[in-house]
Amino acid sequence: MKSKSLRNPGNYGNFFLRVMPVNSYYGTLLRSINILVVLIVFSGLYASAQDDARLVSEKSHIRFFSSTPAEDIEAHNYSATSTINTGNGNVAFSVPMQGFEFDKRLMQRHFNQERFLDTQQFPTARLVGTITNLDAIDFSSNGKYDAIIEGELTIKGVTNKISEKGTVTVNGNRVTAESVFDVTLADYGVEFTSGRPASNIAGTIEVTVHAEYQPQ
Amino acid sequence: MKRKKLFQKMFIMTIAGIFMGGCVGLQSYLLPDRDVQKLSADYQVTASELTSEFLDDLDKARLKYLSDDGESEILEVTGSVSRISENFKGEKVVLLKNDDDKAGVNCTFTHETNHSVNAIEVGDLVTIKGEIVSGAYYDEDLEIFVNASLNKCDIIN
Repeated sequence: MKSKSLRNPGNYGNFFLRVMPVNSYYGTLLRSINILVVLIVFSGLYASAQDDARLVSEKSHIRFFSSTPAEDIEAHNYSATSTINTGNGNVAFSVPMQGFEFDKRLMQRHFNQERFLDTQQFPTARLVGTITNLDAIDFSSNGKYDAIIEGELTIKGVTNKISEKGTVTVNGNRVTAESVFDVTLADYGVEFTSGRPASNIAGTIEVTVHAEYQPQ
Repeated sequence: MKRKKLFQKMFIMTIAGIFMGGCVGLQSYLLPDRDVQKLSADYQVTASELTSEFLDDLDKARLKYLSDDGESEILEVTGSVSRISENFKGEKVVLLKNDDDKAGVNCTFTHETNHSVNAIEVGDLVTIKGEIVSGAYYDEDLEIFVNASLNKCDIIN
């Protein structure tokens, strides 16, 4: 009964078991191999599931820099959270806007107010995108890789499409991502036509992102 | 003669006005940093209570804790130390989070208060004072619970 069912091509359809006698030393051996094959396949699936792991960053630095003939203004934020899914290349950043620190307290207050970034109403800025050249990045091998991210940036409730370049550095378990890109404030409803803000705040500001990731 | 006196008065008042205006402007321009540790706390909460408030009703908690000029409420948060790390500025970051909670409170110290962290370790129950910069929430894009954040922190007991 046992040998019949094993010889039945409909059962498993295992080539080796169909062509080899089963009530023999070889049959037992091949059944062991069969189990081994199943184990290897499953371990492979497990490994690819691990490749799909998400990296999480709570250690980051986001800087913005505005330069006009009147003055240079910069602010720093160390409170952002980010994830990278190494399996599908999805990247997300959530930046608490009240975490931006300025040299001058008055400037920081203005930054948060309704006519500027309105951070009480819109407490986070976010970037959601995908690494489009994921094949070029080997998260399991140390090195520095160029990355292209396409997605959407949302500031003050306004979302715009973006496509930016950055680098991903892999060093063992530690992965860091860096990028520098420009943001045009008027695209996000932050615009000044007169007074000090118009002369002292650049229309386009430079944003620098640096984040360090750990496996979740 | 009368006219001359009037002009004199106006001149003095204008100068005084410009001087006073300049002083007020300069004072606000050179506003000293907000000394969070010297100011009294607006709320005393546990890390669990604070994160629950934000997770239960984000808008209500946002309006309660976040100010429109970015100088948000000063909190004294009590919780269990779950992680001690450091940010890129070299400031200590203490995560207050109970094992059962979905999110915790990341408390960032300053270069001046960093030394306080030397006295605590993971598992300790501590109270930390700081100004809130963001609440806890589930982020659908990140697919994780994001911790609340407090800046300019120090341990108060």
